[in-house]
Amino acid sequence: MKLIPTIGMETHVELKTKSKMFCSCKVEETEKPNTNLCPTCLGLPGALPIPNKKAIEMITLLGVSLDCEITENGMFHRKNYFYPDLPKNYQISQFDYPIGLNGVLQIVSDNEICDIEVERVHMEEDTGKSIHVGGGRIDTAESTLLDFNRSGIPLVEIVTKPVISSSKHAVAYIEELRQLVIDIGISHGKLELGNLRFDANISVAHRDENELGVKVEIKNMNSLRSLERAIEYEIDRQTSLLEKNKKIIQETRHWDEKLQKTISMRTKEGSADYRYFSDPDIPNMNLSKEFIEEAVSNLPELPKDRRKRYLDLGLSLEESSHIVKSETWVRDLFEDVQVNVSNSRSAYLWTTGELLGQLRKLNLDEKPKHLIGENLAELICLVEEGKVSSSTAKEILGELIKSDLSPENYAKSNNLIQENDEDYINNLVSQIIKEHEKIVERIKLGEDKLVGFLIGEVMKESTASLNPGLVRELILKKTK
Amino acid sequence: MVDLKNMTIKNAHKGLRDKLFSASELTESIFEVAANSESVLHAHLLLMHEEAVQGAKETDQRISKDNMLGALDGIPISIKDNMNLKGHGTTCSSKILSNYISPYDATVVKRLRESGTIFVGKTNLDEFAMGSSTENSAYGPTRNPWNPDCVPGGSSGGSAAVVSVGSALGSLGSDTGGSIRQPASFCGVVGFKPTYGTVSRFGLIAFASSLDQIGPFTKTAEDAKIIYEAISGHDSKDATSLKLKAKSLPEDSSAKVGIVKELMGEGISDDVKSEVERIIKILEMEGHQVSEVSLPMTKMAISIYYLIAPAECSANLARFDGVRFGLRREGGNSYEMSEKTRAVGFGDEVKRRILLGTYALSAGYYDAYYGQALKARNQVVNEFREVFSSVDYLISPTTPSTAFKFGEKTSNPLEMYMSDSCTIPANLAGLPAISIPTGINNDGMPYSIQIMSPELTDSSLLNFSSYIEKLVDFQHAPMKWKKEP
Repeated sequence: MKLIPTIGMETHVELKTKSKMFCSCKVEETEKPNTNLCPTCLGLPGALPIPNKKAIEMITLLGVSLDCEITENGMFHRKNYFYPDLPKNYQISQFDYPIGLNGVLQIVSDNEICDIEVERVHMEEDTGKSIHVGGGRIDTAESTLLDFNRSGIPLVEIVTKPVISSSKHAVAYIEELRQLVIDIGISHGKLELGNLRFDANISVAHRDENELGVKVEIKNMNSLRSLERAIEYEIDRQTSLLEKNKKIIQETRHWDEKLQKTISMRTKEGSADYRYFSDPDIPNMNLSKEFIEEAVSNLPELPKDRRKRYLDLGLSLEESSHIVKSETWVRDLFEDVQVNVSNSRSAYLWTTGELLGQLRKLNLDEKPKHLIGENLAELICLVEEGKVSSSTAKEILGELIKSDLSPENYAKSNNLIQENDEDYINNLVSQIIKEHEKIVERIKLGEDKLVGFLIGEVMKESTASLNPGLVRELILKKTK
Repeated sequence: MVDLKNMTIKNAHKGLRDKLFSASELTESIFEVAANSESVLHAHLLLMHEEAVQGAKETDQRISKDNMLGALDGIPISIKDNMNLKGHGTTCSSKILSNYISPYDATVVKRLRESGTIFVGKTNLDEFAMGSSTENSAYGPTRNPWNPDCVPGGSSGGSAAVVSVGSALGSLGSDTGGSIRQPASFCGVVGFKPTYGTVSRFGLIAFASSLDQIGPFTKTAEDAKIIYEAISGHDSKDATSLKLKAKSLPEDSSAKVGIVKELMGEGISDDVKSEVERIIKILEMEGHQVSEVSLPMTKMAISIYYLIAPAECSANLARFDGVRFGLRREGGNSYEMSEKTRAVGFGDEVKRRILLGTYALSAGYYDAYYGQALKARNQVVNEFREVFSSVDYLISPTTPSTAFKFGEKTSNPLEMYMSDSCTIPANLAGLPAISIPTGINNDGMPYSIQIMSPELTDSSLLNFSSYIEKLVDFQHAPMKWKKEP
C-alpha cells in the first residue's frame, strides 16, 4: 500500500505600507530596537486601533489576484493568547469574515503548470520580536529581550487547502506567491528579512484512504531550502512511523537547521483555544463594489499572465517561468529587448544567459545604467542577420557593458561586420579546396573535423569577416 | 473665598467673566472643600493642587486680557482615574497600575485642557470600573457625602461624590452599565451617559469597549451640556467615534413620555417607584402625553450584560501582564511572572469577571453564551427602536433603591449586579441616558429619575432634563463638610 503525503501551507506576508496596521508608526527596517512605537502598538492602557486603509487596499489586491471571493463585510477579531511580544496579549486578526475566500494560485513545478487552491486570505497585525538570551525558548532562556518595532506591522496570512503533494510543489508555491506579492507591489517579498514567513501542515495517508492523515505543523523554516528539506524529512518520518504501524501525534514541530530534522515542541494538552470574538474597537469594514473595482483596475500584470504571454512568444515553460521569477531589471530589460527582435528566444538567451554571465564575471549585481534594451536588441539583430558571429557579438557585448555605444556602429568601425556575399565566399572556398586536395580527400573519407581547418584557411584568406556558418555550408557542399 | 453653595459651572463662568472672583480664588475655594472632605470621603485618589494653581493663573491672565476661552475656562473639574492625564498616574483603582504614569492625554482630557479647564485631580472608582459601590477600589472606598455610612455608588463613585460635596464643579466618569448614572443617583447629582460613539474613548482604559462611554457629572443638566459639548465630536483616534449628525426632539410640554413597564415592577423598591410616579404626575399636569410602554428584553439586560462585558474585559485586561508597564512580580519565567503579577495585581471582582468572560468565549461555550448574548443584544436595540417610534423620552428609576450601606451587597455579587438593572439597557443599545436628582427620602438620601432618548438626541435630552429640573426644583444639599479646627 502506497503512502502519499498531503501538505497545506500557511504563509505570512508583511505589507510594505508606510505606517503600521493600526497606528501611524513608521514601517521600516532598522537596527535600533524599540524606536517606532506609540501607545497603540505598545498596547498601553487606553490606546485604540485605527485600521490602515492602504493595507486593506493591498490585501484586496492580493485577494483579487488570487481569484478569491472578496467579502463585502470585513470584520476584525481578537485572537487571544499570552506571549510577551504580543503587547495586548491578543492579536487583531480575522476569523469568520476574512477579506478573501476560495482562491487559486497557479504554480510551475517540474515543468508543469498546476493550480494550488487557496482557502483564505486574511489581514492581521504582526507581533514584536523576542530574543531569548541564554538559549532556547522563552521558558528556558535566562532572559528575554523584546523589540516592538515589528509590533503592528500589517501582515497578510494566506492559507492553502491541503492540496500540495510534494516539497517541490511547496517550494514552487512559495516562489510564485513571493513573485505575486512583489509584482502587485504589496510587499518587498524578502525571505531573508522575514517579509515572507511560512509554516507547513503535513500529513501522510494511504492512497486508498479518503481521509487525510494526522496533521503535523512544521515551523521555523527560514529559507526555501529549509522548507524543502523539512517537508522531506517530515514525510520520511511520518511514512516510516506508519510503516511500523506506529501512530502519528498531532503536534507542532520545529525545523532544526543545524540538526536538519524536525523536533517536537513541547505541546500543551488539547489544542489552543484562541477565544476569537469580533473586536469591539473596530467597526465592520464595508468593502464596496467600487472599492474592489478600483483595486482591480490598479492591478498590474500578474505572474501567471506574464508567463502565458511569454509562452505565446515562443519561449518554453521553463524559460517563461525563469523570466517571470527573475529580478525586475532583468525582466524589464528582456521586455525592452524582446519587442525589438524577431526571435524572442534570442532575446531570452542573450538577456538571461550571456549578459548575466558577463556581469557575474565582473562581479556586477545589475546592468550598467547606459546599457538599454534597444542597444542589446541591436546587437542581437546583428547576430540574427548574420552580420556578426556570435563570438564577435559576445566581445561587442563586453564593450557595451563598459561604455555606451551602438553595437552596429562599433562593429562597422572595428571591421567586425561579416561578409555574406555567397559568390565572394564561393570563390575563396574553391581556391582553398584546390590548394588542399589531400585534406578534401580525407574529408570525403569521413574526417569531418578537418572541415574546421578548411574554414580557418578560408577565413585567413579573406580580407573581410565572413559568416562562419555560411563558409561551413559552402565547404560541405563542395566536399561531399 | 468664593461661596460654593449651589455653585454651578454656569454661575462660576459668569462670576469669572464678570470678575466677581478670580479663577485663583475659585480654585483655592475648591481645594479647601477637598481639604475638608477628603479625609472622610476619599473621593480623590490624586489632588493636583500645584498644577491647578498654575492653570488658574493662566485663566486669570486671559480674563484680564478679555480673552477667555469659553464656558469651561478656569472651571475646576476632576477626572475619573481610568482616563489618561499625561504625566500623572492612572491607577484604575488597581494595584496592577499602582506605579503607572500615563505618557499621553486621553482625547477628553486634551479637549478639556484646550478649553481652559482646571484639573482638580483624579477620582476613585471600583477597580477597572467594575462595581457599583467603589468598594472594589484597591485604595479604599469612597463615602457618600449625604451619609458616610452609605456607598456613593459606582463605579464612578469618586466623580459623583466630588461634585456632590463641591470639591469640583464637574467631573468626568465612564459608564459601561450605569457607572455614571447610578452613582449620580446615589449622590444627588446629574450624571449623563451620551450616545455611544459621540465621546471619544481614546485614552479611557477600556473595561468593555462596546459599552464604555465617557460622560459628565454636574449639579445641573445645563452644566452637563457644557461639558458634553466640550468633550464630544468625532475623533480620528477612535474608530468607533461617530461622524453622524445630532437629531432633535421636542424639549417642552409637547414631548411624549413613555414609562417603561418592566422598570417599574419587581425588584424596584416602593419608595423609588412612588418618587417616579410623583414626577410623572408633575409631567401630566404640565400637559405631557404620558404612556406606559413595554420593553420585555430589559428583563434580560443583566444576563446579556454579564456575558458581553466580561467577555470584552477578559481581552481588554490581558495587557496587564507585568511585561511592559505597571506592577511586576518576579517569577521563574515570563509566564510565571505574568501569573504572579496578575494574581497580586487584580482584585476579586476583576478576577471574577475575567474568568466569567474567558469561560463565555471558550470553544464549545461561545455559541451558548457569548453568541446568544450578541443576538439578544440586537433584540434590545430593536425593541428600543420600536418604542421610540411612539414616544420621545423614556422615564424610569435610575436605580432600584437609594444608596445602600457599606458591606450590604459585597457578599452577594448578583445582588450588587442588580443595582444596575435600570441603567444597563441604555448601554446595550448605545442610547443617551441621564440621571437627575428629584428629591430625598426619609433618611435624607437622594432620589432620582433616569431619562433615556433615541441615539444622537443628546442635546435634546439635556435640554429636556433642564426643563424637568425646573419643574422638580431639587434644592437639597448633602451634609456640610468642614474639618474640625
